[in-house]
Amino acid sequence: MATLNYPKIRRAGRWFDVRRRRLGMWAYTLNRITGIGLVVYLYLHLGVLSLLARGQSSWDSFVSLARSPFYLGLDVVLLAGILIHGLNGLRIALTGFDVGVRAQKALFGILMLAAAVALIAAALKIFGD
Amino acid sequence: MENPFAEEPKATSAWLWQVFTGVGLVILLGLHFMANHFIAKGGLRDFADVVAYLRNPIVLVLELLFLVFVTTHALLGVRAVLLDFGFSESIEKRLSRALTVVGVLTIGYGLWLTWNIIR
Amino acid sequence: MISMKMLEIPLQIFRYREGEPPHYDIFTVQVADTAHVIDAMDAVWATRDRSFTFRRACHHSSCGSCSLRINGVEKLPCITRVMDVWDGHAPVRLDPLRNFPVVSDLVVDVSAFFQRMSAAGMTITRSAEPSLPLSVDDLAATGVLSRPVEVPESLSRFNRFENCIECAICMSACPTMATDEKFLGPAGLAAIYRARQKADNPSDVAHLLGLADGEHGVWRCHSAFECTAACPQAVDPAGKIMALRRELIARRFKVAARAAAVVPRTRNYSAPAGPTKHGGNGA
Repeated sequence: MATLNYPKIRRAGRWFDVRRRRLGMWAYTLNRITGIGLVVYLYLHLGVLSLLARGQSSWDSFVSLARSPFYLGLDVVLLAGILIHGLNGLRIALTGFDVGVRAQKALFGILMLAAAVALIAAALKIFGD
Repeated sequence: MENPFAEEPKATSAWLWQVFTGVGLVILLGLHFMANHFIAKGGLRDFADVVAYLRNPIVLVLELLFLVFVTTHALLGVRAVLLDFGFSESIEKRLSRALTVVGVLTIGYGLWLTWNIIR
Repeated sequence: MISMKMLEIPLQIFRYREGEPPHYDIFTVQVADTAHVIDAMDAVWATRDRSFTFRRACHHSSCGSCSLRINGVEKLPCITRVMDVWDGHAPVRLDPLRNFPVVSDLVVDVSAFFQRMSAAGMTITRSAEPSLPLSVDDLAATGVLSRPVEVPESLSRFNRFENCIECAICMSACPTMATDEKFLGPAGLAAIYRARQKADNPSDVAHLLGLADGEHGVWRCHSAFECTAACPQAVDPAGKIMALRRELIARRFKVAARAAAVVPRTRNYSAPAGPTKHGGNGA
């Protein structure tokens, strides 16, 4: 019997398709996207830190670059990723231990609201200073 | 015909480590972020500040612990994404081993860099 | 008198034949406005295309045969009204379930699904007829007679009141099922949970928990909760997966605690872990 089976690579990308999916799937996909973004950031950050090994002038000139509004904007994006991934991660940890499973949608809403509030406060501080 | 789902596979701990490091990071990353961007004046430490900061033994321990936690959590996450590609068991094992090597190298790099700064 | 309006419903149906690339056919059929999607599918088969292949049986969400995707979302067409999924102009799209090989049109090969249920020990095998005890007291317990009776403990072994109708909708909705062919899946893990509730000897419990604790068990779940949202029978597979995780963790920490007390470290599932959540299959 010749059945139709989509190739695995195509199937592997399915987590990305959130059309017609519900809140839990949106949360999962969001966590995955922010996670991948943060891994990329981690290695960029570790790479940039190597400037510290090159001495004071290398590092300090980077610091003055990092104070530019464009960089500060990127920092806000980074912070958004951290807050979303971290707070949603706590929800995954809790529900994964069978705590608050029935309230998982409400939990997502509350935590993302907290993330939004924290992000706005942080953005004000970052651009205010 | 043998039922392929009836054999007991060996138990796995990766998810538990993911949660443990994740919860740890909420604390450690929180501390790292606040110490480096909210306590430091202007939100960024210049070279002299970084050296002084890392020479504090408590800070050193916490920052290195943070490095271990974040590297572990990040690479376990990458592994989770890769496992969802449905590779064969032998390829999955090789990927896990490769990621472990990447993790060790990353932490090693961090240690070397820190030593470079504080000596 | 009930007045019935007739509707002209366009259906966009996934078609597949061996050796040909898949495509969609659009058929317009006339059904009552109170009709269910399965009625429209019957009309397509009866009046438009006799080669249209799909599964159906009970028409009341009891058999689990007809499961498919309506406008991309997993549903049972026998209990889904046409008026609830049709916006009045665009065709209603029908696709087969995800994560199973397509045999033809909307029929998928669910043998791997039943292998998982069998691995959990959830198939009924009747070695002798009848499978239900038929004494008067037992009949009373099933509610057939009107006097109120308490269900005796022994009866619960023979009555299968689990909500799961084995429609495989949860397996289609689950993102992990897409690529891990060995994943037990929400239905398989919910079945393991149910079987574990019923299991009364330590080696059965150990085996079931061993299946759940493995690389293709509860830990592969990514907490998307699509299974629970999609289930038409309130089985709450995600809740069952999390309940299994809780029990597995409790046992691991007991083992770790005993290892710390200098005892040989083996994963011993047969030691009781304390109270598990009993009662009810969902909601």
